[in-house]
Amino acid sequence: MSNKALRNLFAFGSLGFFVIFVILTIDTMGKLDKRAPEITEEVNLGKKVWHKYDCIGCHTILGNGSYFAPDMTKISEKKPKEYLKQFLMDPKSVNPKASMPKFGITSQEADHLIAFLEWISKVDTNGWPPKPLLAQAVAVTGAELSPGQRLYQQLNCSACHMLNGIGGTTGPDLTHVGSRRDRTWILGHFKDPKAYVPNSAMPSYGHLSEKELNELTDFMISLK
Amino acid sequence: MTVKYESQKIAQNFFTFAVLLFLVQVAVGIIAALQFIWPDFFILNFNIIRSLHINALVVWLLVGLMGATYYVVPEESETELWSIPLARFQFWATVVTVTLVVLGYIWMGINPQANSTSLFGTGILNEGREYIEAPRWADILIALSVIIFLINNFMTVMKTKKWTGIQGTLLAGLTFLALMYIPGMFYTKSMVKDQFWWWWVVHLWVEGAWEVIAGALLAFMLMKTLNAQRHVVERWMYVEVALVLFTGILGTGHHYYWIGTPPYWLWIGGIFSSLEPIPLLVMVWDAFRTTREYRTVTNKVGLFYAVAHAIFNFVGAGLWGVIHTLPQVNKWTHGTQITTAHGHLAFYGAYVLLVLSMIYVTLPVIRGVREFSGSRAYQAFWWMTISMIFIVLTITGAGMVQTYMERLMGLDYVAVKTNYNLWFWIFRAIFGVGFLIGVAIFVIDYFRLGKEPLKIGTPEAVKITG
Repeated sequence: MSNKALRNLFAFGSLGFFVIFVILTIDTMGKLDKRAPEITEEVNLGKKVWHKYDCIGCHTILGNGSYFAPDMTKISEKKPKEYLKQFLMDPKSVNPKASMPKFGITSQEADHLIAFLEWISKVDTNGWPPKPLLAQAVAVTGAELSPGQRLYQQLNCSACHMLNGIGGTTGPDLTHVGSRRDRTWILGHFKDPKAYVPNSAMPSYGHLSEKELNELTDFMISLK
Repeated sequence: MTVKYESQKIAQNFFTFAVLLFLVQVAVGIIAALQFIWPDFFILNFNIIRSLHINALVVWLLVGLMGATYYVVPEESETELWSIPLARFQFWATVVTVTLVVLGYIWMGINPQANSTSLFGTGILNEGREYIEAPRWADILIALSVIIFLINNFMTVMKTKKWTGIQGTLLAGLTFLALMYIPGMFYTKSMVKDQFWWWWVVHLWVEGAWEVIAGALLAFMLMKTLNAQRHVVERWMYVEVALVLFTGILGTGHHYYWIGTPPYWLWIGGIFSSLEPIPLLVMVWDAFRTTREYRTVTNKVGLFYAVAHAIFNFVGAGLWGVIHTLPQVNKWTHGTQITTAHGHLAFYGAYVLLVLSMIYVTLPVIRGVREFSGSRAYQAFWWMTISMIFIVLTITGAGMVQTYMERLMGLDYVAVKTNYNLWFWIFRAIFGVGFLIGVAIFVIDYFRLGKEPLKIGTPEAVKITG
């Protein structure tokens, strides 16, 4: 091929691929709204808060961002709303070990941001992030678990608490909680966390039945 | 040997600014690396430090490419630049804008609420979108600067109408680059659409326009350092840049797997992005074939850096990209440190070495140097390259641990980062210092090249001939 023919192949070929890309973009734009919930004014305001504080400078969202702090795509499914709000406004008051600084996020801004995070958690992301394979494999053997252990899994306590190295770091580590706290404390704390720990961001589990609370407490006591 | 056209010397202003920003970028990078170990280290938070690290990189590479273009276009057009005052104005306008943006980031780092005011639709100090954090007013000024730059170069070509393949491709790449800044300049309420258009800017820059520019400059450097025949280097250049865009444009799809876009992108992105390393491999082959064919080297250091650029472009952008580009793999690695590792090696190989090699090819000519010692240039290269390889290996290791423990086992992000990956962060910071030493040697070399007498019999003496 002559250089001129190659040049034309480069120019028109690239243009051709770009046209295909534009057509696919138009098709995608038409499909996006059906793959996500409606964007309310609150969600939009929350997105603006996200930009204002440059959250992407540390976090990722939809897996894109700075890899310095956890991904925010499914955070509203993992953490209770009350916790998120308190954390956003003053991270270290909730978790002294938190790396996130206090930015001066207002109560209203926090509400908007949470609305935005709830919206993004419902976007159809083709199954991302995937459910951890090994954690699922462990859950299959659930038949041998005590009622308290099963409740611990069902209520997703490990989203915030760690047990033998597995679980979240936002709440206290529960590996030896049985040797730190007695039965009355744990049972009372489940019903009204703030009465025991003034700054606690843990939601109340008073809606559980007395039987369930006792099973969960039995499990906690056994952790020595 | 000296420049053919006096106006080519304007390139040096751009190179100097680029080189100084390079030093700032790497110094700030070490602060960021230390913050992975101690998050509260330094008065500015990680987000500000990271923005400075990456924005400095993008700006110095762009400024370096502008300098290179101001050198190449008069040479190829065989005439003086259309307007030197305009080029000077464009240079200083860029310096002032970049300085204002940096001051804005620092101010926001000290007082986050300072970004509350909005101007032209974004925060006045920070847009809050990754890589394109510069606020809208700065976007507009940057766009104006690029338009002035393009007009100046196109008018130069129009003076003699010598449309060589190299400068045609270079200017086509630069025009594509300028146009692809536009999709990042409007607000969308949907974060999915936000990221969709954002990737138009980010991907079509680094895996599209910039690689086209790299192809054109590689051809130019092979021609200059080896006296290679124009029609041969231009022929392979066309093959390379054509393959870059044939694979790269639809390769954008590998960013559309998990952001809320339809599943057909899994196929399109997977297939086309897997082919993206091919043109980069052709560039390596091209560089080696040309070097073997033309054995008279007119600038050894320039050629050394150009060939290294071709190799590390393939390894960093190609290999380190393709390992996690298939959706089956990317499902597990997306959003982990694997991406960071790829980003570091890709930018070092594809663009840092590109600009440095253009500097070594053109600077001796600009300064009218007949002979200089290549000793510092080689030292700088090995300090930087070996450190970068280890930085990338440590981050790749961290990414593999993260993928396994967080994604497969379901461990908490923070637990993996602070406990299991700690040693990787420590080693990364140490190798970061090694990289900084390399950059410092390079910067010293940049300022001294041709300005000190050469000792007789220096083994690393580089003769500029041709």
